[in-house]
Amino acid sequence: MDAHISEFCVEMQNIHKFYGHVHALKGVDLRVRRGEVCVAIGPSGSGKSTLLRCINQLESISAGRVFLKGELQGFTERDGRFHPLSKGQIATQRRLTGMVFQRFHLFPHMTALENVMEGPSHVKGWPREQARRKADELLNRVGLEGFGNRYPGQLSGGQQQRVAIARALAMEPEVMLFDEPTSALDPELVGEVLDVIKDLARSGITMVVVTHEIGFAREVGSHLVFMDQGQIVEEGHPRMMLANPQNPRTAAFLSKVL
Amino acid sequence: MASEIDNMGIGIKPVSIEKPAVTRNVVVPRHHPGRWLAIAILAVLALQIGQAVSTNPNFHWDIYSTYLFSPQVIRGVGWTLLLTVVAMTVAIVVAALLVIMRDSDNPILRSIAYGWVWFFRGTPIYTQLLFWGLFAVLFPNLSLAIPFGPEIVSVETKLIVTPAIAAILGLGFNESAYLTEIFRAGFNSLDRGQAEAAQALGMKPAKIWWRILMPQAMRVIIPPTGNETIGMLKMTSLVLAVPFTLDLTFATNAISNRLYLPIPLLLVAGTWYLAITSLLMVGQHFLERHFGKGVSVHPARME
Repeated sequence: MDAHISEFCVEMQNIHKFYGHVHALKGVDLRVRRGEVCVAIGPSGSGKSTLLRCINQLESISAGRVFLKGELQGFTERDGRFHPLSKGQIATQRRLTGMVFQRFHLFPHMTALENVMEGPSHVKGWPREQARRKADELLNRVGLEGFGNRYPGQLSGGQQQRVAIARALAMEPEVMLFDEPTSALDPELVGEVLDVIKDLARSGITMVVVTHEIGFAREVGSHLVFMDQGQIVEEGHPRMMLANPQNPRTAAFLSKVL
Repeated sequence: MASEIDNMGIGIKPVSIEKPAVTRNVVVPRHHPGRWLAIAILAVLALQIGQAVSTNPNFHWDIYSTYLFSPQVIRGVGWTLLLTVVAMTVAIVVAALLVIMRDSDNPILRSIAYGWVWFFRGTPIYTQLLFWGLFAVLFPNLSLAIPFGPEIVSVETKLIVTPAIAAILGLGFNESAYLTEIFRAGFNSLDRGQAEAAQALGMKPAKIWWRILMPQAMRVIIPPTGNETIGMLKMTSLVLAVPFTLDLTFATNAISNRLYLPIPLLLVAGTWYLAITSLLMVGQHFLERHFGKGVSVHPARME
């Protein structure tokens, strides 16, 4: 069976990922409950972004299983064999997730409003007016009322990232994925983006966030994961783990970034 | 939420409405005596050339004006325009297909696209046009049949591959090879993140091509494609090889051979080619403006 009853919104079982001979993920298990904010930290190259991209199949996995709301992602499994889904079916599965990228990746030929409307009107097939209302409402929610007619090139990095968040939210995903959402921003713009993400976290949406912002992890994270060399080295409650790391590698990393 | 944002100052519009009271520096323009001298010399030269061209009887301006709008010439202009537009349309459609095949997961489709470009770019257009003209000799009949089985329909080739069709296929297929490379460059110039962002929204591949990648690639594709279209306009003069005998160059050549006066009719042809090129450039300007949305170049969009 492809679906099983699961209390987890995201469930990753024994994920391995190879790039040629590089073993980027070495048997990672991750479970995220509905409404949880799972924060992944770790040194660069530790595999945390790769792990995130496996959730919405932007990376293919070499071994293991990814379930979203109990549904196996990317394959159907019969008699112990994996049968890949079509690109169209994978596209449909991706509607369960919304993703925010480190470098925004807004569509530069569309205005902010059109960027946010794109998903509802061209993936969900909503009528234009309905998509427009939704987009207006979301732009207000991320604090960009009145910026709808600007092109991405006319917005600051922080504003662009907030549009990108609105664009992902417009699909009403079950899980929001954030891939280092503030790493490409000028320091003074980090706050405005983090505030929007914090606000979302409090609204109860399930999130997986890869970040270098330890303060953010402590404040809004409900589950903290420390990754190193393609493995989850330690996980637990953010405040306890940050105050009192059990694994020496976690401790060494935290001593450098805190 | 709203109050937090107000506190951060992001609700404030970046453009200030009040005009600041600034006393600008008084700048005295520099003198450019060299510039004036150059203008004077060039003006004298231009006058002399103008005089030489307009008063020289060997240009036969009377013949020029007689034939500029003669029915035979106008019909040639029409055919040349038609060949250019239709051949270019064929080329764009074929190139779009080829560029999708090039990107396909299917190795057979990829090799066909590669082979097509290799062949049509690697042989001279004149040879190809001659070949299309001789197509009916190679295959006198075209038939739809079950392989090694009975024929379903059969028609004479010369009824289908007329000189006009031969010219269009010859020009269009040759051009498609060049356009494929231009289109590929356009799509390769895009950040991979654009396709990923669209995928993450749950868009299907065809929609990603059409709504996200194509409009952005157009910005890179249009200027060289404009070049190619103008090139095609002039390449139509080679259809004589098919032989196709109604285009502008053939028409003006025919008249000049009759009159033994090649120069005025070359000027007639040149005038029309220039006029059409100018028209195409206007079209290109508007296309560039449309697809330049959001990426500077379009001052009307800036505030």
